Amino acid sequence: MASKPDLTPKLIVRSLLIGAMVIALVALPAAIDPYTLRIATGALMWAGLACAWNIVGGYAGYISFGHSAFFGIGAYTTAILMQSDVGASFFVTLLPAIILSMAVAVAIGGPTMRLRGAYFAIATWAFAEMLLQLVTVLDFTGGTSGLSLPAYLNEFFFYYTMLIASAASFIGVWVLIERSRFGFRIKALRDDEPAAESLGIRTNLVKVQSFALSAAITALFGSIYAYWTTYIDPYSVMGPEITDQMVVMVLLGGLGTVWGPALGGVLLWITNRYIWSTFGDTVIYLPILGVIIALVVLFLPNGLISLIMGRQRGKELISRILGKL
Amino acid sequence: MDLFLQTLVNGILIGGILICLTIGFQLTFGVLHVIDFAVGGWTMLGGYTAYWLVTLAGIDPFISIFLVFALFLLIGRGLGPLIYHVRTSRYARPDLMALAFTFGIFLFMRGGALWLWSYNSRSVESVLSGQFLSLGPVTIPLMRLSAFVMALLFSLGLFILLYRSRFGMAVRALAQNHDHAGLMGVDVKRVSAWVYGIYTALTASAGVLIATVYSVNPSVGIRYTLFAFFVAVLAGLGSVGGVLVAGLALGLLEAYVATYIGARYSLLIVFGTLYLTLLVAPKGVLGRGI
Repeated sequence: MASKPDLTPKLIVRSLLIGAMVIALVALPAAIDPYTLRIATGALMWAGLACAWNIVGGYAGYISFGHSAFFGIGAYTTAILMQSDVGASFFVTLLPAIILSMAVAVAIGGPTMRLRGAYFAIATWAFAEMLLQLVTVLDFTGGTSGLSLPAYLNEFFFYYTMLIASAASFIGVWVLIERSRFGFRIKALRDDEPAAESLGIRTNLVKVQSFALSAAITALFGSIYAYWTTYIDPYSVMGPEITDQMVVMVLLGGLGTVWGPALGGVLLWITNRYIWSTFGDTVIYLPILGVIIALVVLFLPNGLISLIMGRQRGKELISRILGKL
Repeated sequence: MDLFLQTLVNGILIGGILICLTIGFQLTFGVLHVIDFAVGGWTMLGGYTAYWLVTLAGIDPFISIFLVFALFLLIGRGLGPLIYHVRTSRYARPDLMALAFTFGIFLFMRGGALWLWSYNSRSVESVLSGQFLSLGPVTIPLMRLSAFVMALLFSLGLFILLYRSRFGMAVRALAQNHDHAGLMGVDVKRVSAWVYGIYTALTASAGVLIATVYSVNPSVGIRYTLFAFFVAVLAGLGSVGGVLVAGLALGLLEAYVATYIGARYSLLIVFGTLYLTLLVAPKGVLGRGI
């Protein structure tokens, strides 16, 4: 697989495209107003979150409805450590946030991932709701009134931090899953767990590794988000809407593909902000998400990315939809 | 001791409603092998339908519950073939796709309710509201008692249908083996669609009772989805009989936690127990089977 790549025209075009994208992303803040910049920062964050969820949901084949828990762990760790009585600086809080989320992921992932399919989905959801309730009743998390962080009002800083975090997540996933033995193990596990086990893959270990990796990336974005918004409360960083969006973004973009989550994340986040600026709130966004999931499951199970990457061309899709009516 | 008895009665009365809430969900899992995330959504919509019926037409919830049942039987019967299609499709993981599909339906219901009716809680008034029955130290609101009886009647109806009719025999055959039932002449697709209809009708009826006893707002859906999961997991997924015990167990657990520890801890303890049950006994405390 990793043989020396020849310099084919396809490869040149692809490198040029990636180069242009990198330049565009780096130069973007200079070209747009602060409001649009905030939207772009959010789009990077959601692309990264979708990428994190995709590791477990898309590659390992375990649908998690509990990722808001890890986002919240990251956000709360940063918020608590940055309170004036501790006074840690932002970058110092990232490490404990990531370590704590990975520790929680290993602790709950070990037993939870013995459960298959739907049981795993229920267990992760119950865990996330439990953590949400716990944060609401505890004192050091500020209860229902939440926590404020020291404000750092520099949109450029947050844009580039999100860009680096997001790019690192995607490159990390690409290297680990598309270009390494770990990727083969995790996909084998998704396609047929008993068969993978019989080939000598330690499936329990691989599952927990992928869950911890996914949790760490999610928590990283939770930390940055808390510092960015400067105020968090239980529902804004641990509410079910966070998981909902991650699931829909990956499903829409394409389960188990590298670039699908980026596509789904950016598209849906822009839709979300567009609805917010048009209607003044995002309530109607939720039913739209619901309809998108149902339609994707019915007509486009491989996601939007399959239209571009050629697994399922537009013409074929239209005939499939017409055939079902 | 009086408080203890009062809590016991409250727990049993709520447990009865939870049985009605989960019994259809279990049947759907047993027959269609689908975990329906939308179970709380059907509960919520049933509650809202009863609210609008009593507000606009003045129909008491204990009468409108039958209208709700009929309405949601048809809605579920209409949606059933889609669920069946996704579950039996040739996707890589049809079970997960079906889970995602019902998750989408649930999001649509929750978001639609928020959009149309906002966050306000609405309570459904009945002629029985505010009337009490005193039995020694225990005071029983008549409405809770009637809701309990109604819920048990609906559940009993399901058992009679399952064990005393040809249709019920077909359903039980499907739960055992789809292919064999099909070979014996059972129309698998049609029976599955009706099972889904019966499930939505039962769940929406439970929603009417819940809205009458408490109140209804768009966010109750998540709570009752988790309650249904709790009862289902405790009973063992797919076990219809186990629901009778597990529903009462959840009703009692919630009542005692709310009385003796504090209402704000009740959800925390319920979810904690659910999570631990899944880890210790994922097949259910009571074993399985339809």
